[in-house]
Amino acid sequence: MNRIRGSVWLIAALAALATVAAACGGTTPAPATSKGTITVAGFNFPESSILAELYGQALAHDGYTVNYKLLLGTREVVAPAIKSGQIDLYPGYAATELEFYNSGAGEANGDAAATTDKLNGHLSSLGLVATTPSAAVDQNAFAVTKATQTKYNLTKLSDLSAIGDQLVLGAGPECPTRPFCQPGLKTTYGINFKAFKALDTDGPLTRAAFKNGTIQVGLVFSSDSDLHQLGLVVLQDDKHLENADNVVPVVRKAVATTEVTAVLNKVSAGLNTTDLVTMNGQVELLHQDADAVATAYLQQHNYFS
Amino acid sequence: MSILAKVIAWFADPAHWQGQDGIPTRLVEHLQLSAESVALGALIALPIGIGLGHLGIFGNLAIGVSNVGRAVPSFAILVIAFQVFGLGDTPIILALTALAIPPMVTNSYVALREVDPDIKDAARGMGYRQLAQLVRVELPLAVPLIMAGVRTSAVQVVATAALAALIAGGGFGRYIIDGLAQQDYAKEFAGAVLVAVLALATEMTLWGVEQLLVPRGIRLLRAPAAARVRTFKTA
Repeated sequence: MNRIRGSVWLIAALAALATVAAACGGTTPAPATSKGTITVAGFNFPESSILAELYGQALAHDGYTVNYKLLLGTREVVAPAIKSGQIDLYPGYAATELEFYNSGAGEANGDAAATTDKLNGHLSSLGLVATTPSAAVDQNAFAVTKATQTKYNLTKLSDLSAIGDQLVLGAGPECPTRPFCQPGLKTTYGINFKAFKALDTDGPLTRAAFKNGTIQVGLVFSSDSDLHQLGLVVLQDDKHLENADNVVPVVRKAVATTEVTAVLNKVSAGLNTTDLVTMNGQVELLHQDADAVATAYLQQHNYFS
Repeated sequence: MSILAKVIAWFADPAHWQGQDGIPTRLVEHLQLSAESVALGALIALPIGIGLGHLGIFGNLAIGVSNVGRAVPSFAILVIAFQVFGLGDTPIILALTALAIPPMVTNSYVALREVDPDIKDAARGMGYRQLAQLVRVELPLAVPLIMAGVRTSAVQVVATAALAALIAGGGFGRYIIDGLAQQDYAKEFAGAVLVAVLALATEMTLWGVEQLLVPRGIRLLRAPAAARVRTFKTA
């Protein structure tokens, strides 16, 4: 009882001290004072957690109180959450965000800046804004096992057009309706797969399906760190089906002050795909926590100095 | 167009009634997963419940242990079993079997305990041995309660089998998961409707089976007095 009462007094004393300090016109903000609360969300895969932690910790270092809603879900869950203000920020991917918010109008292209500009055209009316895209990119990529690659002598996606009807494609259940997935493979490359198996988006189900031969072609991400370990080979996107999926934070305008934007842009500017692959490896292969990996990265790159 | 009209339109589309993702294929998958799970559950649960109920021992222990299957979320069992067994039907059947066991253990135990002790005494007095008394006297009398347990299990399993789609399994859950992923809410809703209809159909089918299995004597006991008199006269 005494200890609790003691700490209550301590907090009260500190609060009083902070108030006095503020009243005296101190120019440096007291560390205990928050600049505001920002809720950072991430999609349901590890890289999104790392990115959310990177942006979140940078904001926290700048004096914001940051709440995390990591692994919140797919875009179908995250987008309504940010529109309704339940979350304030999530790390998006330029082209995929654009094609989501424009309902698959096909406006995205390989240019990250142009794609982000178009994205902002759609976000504006929703009270959202995308900041400057990072050089780090995580694109949809289609992989085959080394055995399949050798059997059919595959190097690029166009090699699949002739033999697609012998192969099963595996990806998340949204793949049959996404322009960058099954419909794109059909229209851009003329690939008609034997069947489609609804799994997950580049997760354990996809890996298990590769392993037991349920699928021969699977959707993975370009920044995956375990492809080599799994004996998977990414086929080259020779007809540029995939657009500029550069990392770009999507923020509620109400939260995106000049200061917040500057913090986010600084993180985005420093990040590249190699960093992403390294951090993904630390989380997925070495089983480190996303928050610790993000902290280590930010420390290493002098964000906290 | 209202969601209901969209769902009706979804059902009316002939494309949804054929092929790998068609309703007939998904129905067979759903029924197969459910039937295998309930059958496996019954194979485990009924001998335990009936045996212990007959002997009148370890009842609370058996019911308590089997209730673990109900306490641990099916989703958790599904995910853990997937880690162990990988892709396929095994994790799904394990999770659903765990769900199927508790009502069947509880009901069959209670069913056997509820058999009138006077009848058991009479059976013993007539010279029935343990096994004959169980099979020819106690079990027929316990059928209604045992079958109620089977029915409860089956309905729960059919409703829960939709989870299979979460680990890339088949069944009607496919429409729910895919519908959510594809923002096709008519499909999602249709999936829910199909699961619900199948659960109800299961309930009614098993009720019918139960009527067939209930011994004539009990059926007569339950019948109105007038019908009973008539039947006994003609018998």
